[in-house]
Amino acid sequence: MCLDDALLNSYLDGELQEPWKTQVEEHLSYCSGCQLRFNQLKGLVDNLKNATISDEEIAPRSDRVLKYFEQNRFDTPPKKNLFKKKVQVNLVPALLTSAAAVVVVFIGSFVLFGSNSKQTSEIMPEVMLPIESNQLEQVSVDEKASLDDYSLSEIVRYLDSQGYAVKLELKTVNPLEDIPQNEE
Amino acid sequence: MKIQSNDEHDFRHIYEKTFAMLFRVSNNIVRNPDRAEELCQEAFTRFFDQGKSFPSENDAKYWLIRVTKNLSINVVKRKSRELKMIEKVKKEPNRHEKTGEEVLVEDAICEQVMDAIEQLPEKLRLVITLKTYTDLDYKGIGETLNISESNVKVRVFRARKMLEKILSQE
Repeated sequence: MCLDDALLNSYLDGELQEPWKTQVEEHLSYCSGCQLRFNQLKGLVDNLKNATISDEEIAPRSDRVLKYFEQNRFDTPPKKNLFKKKVQVNLVPALLTSAAAVVVVFIGSFVLFGSNSKQTSEIMPEVMLPIESNQLEQVSVDEKASLDDYSLSEIVRYLDSQGYAVKLELKTVNPLEDIPQNEE
Repeated sequence: MKIQSNDEHDFRHIYEKTFAMLFRVSNNIVRNPDRAEELCQEAFTRFFDQGKSFPSENDAKYWLIRVTKNLSINVVKRKSRELKMIEKVKKEPNRHEKTGEEVLVEDAICEQVMDAIEQLPEKLRLVITLKTYTDLDYKGIGETLNISESNVKVRVFRARKMLEKILSQE
């Protein structure tokens, strides 16, 4: 029994499994009719395969398309570095300037509009402002007593209690009207 | 090997392995090398931009062949008449640029075979194009075109039979 085209096609495409493959090979080795048909089919397949563009012609096209992806899709190292450098150069001074501006505006707002300590503690809880005088409460006064702090009658009474004889003498250039008279 | 389509390393790997076959498949459908190049670029652009993850190299290859084939068929369908006119104008000077009788004869045979493939019904044409110009086996062609392996086998056989007939008439 000879081989049909379906079987030969499968064999030609390397799709024939064992044991069929060996059987076909065996048959082809002695049957000249099937050999002729096989060679015809092989010729057709080769013709089809050759009826296309060669690898040499495809290569430049392949390179061109790949270049497109290198330029438009891949993150190639030199490109990345350039980008980073630019950002670094432009960004740092810009950041410093804007940071300084923020500080100036912040301080300026306190200078211009003032603030009370409650607001300040809400905004900047870590910072202590100098205490304002109107918010101070005096708790004690530590002052040396002087003679000016006592009235004349108090002084006289004190000296009197200590057993001193006090003689007061008033000397005036222009006599005053309401001068208390303290005479012993 | 898992393939991540927008990974540069994976992309290059698949590109190197498949560009030539995709180009041949597309060129045999659109019959215009410049157009085929554009379509391959389009297919690979979709491949990269969609950031797909393929379980194996073969899956990525099937996907690319399927997309290239569909893009090529769409172009042919949309502009079938228009395209033929442009090709005729484009091809004439090209053919005369080449020197040597042998090249001319080879080109003529090549044209003849491509014309013959073009005459096949689409179902047969696609199967025989993939069988001839890619490294896919029956199973791979089946997976690419969403048909069974035995169906591929029958179509390859029928396509070759028809091609023999067409070519012997010419």
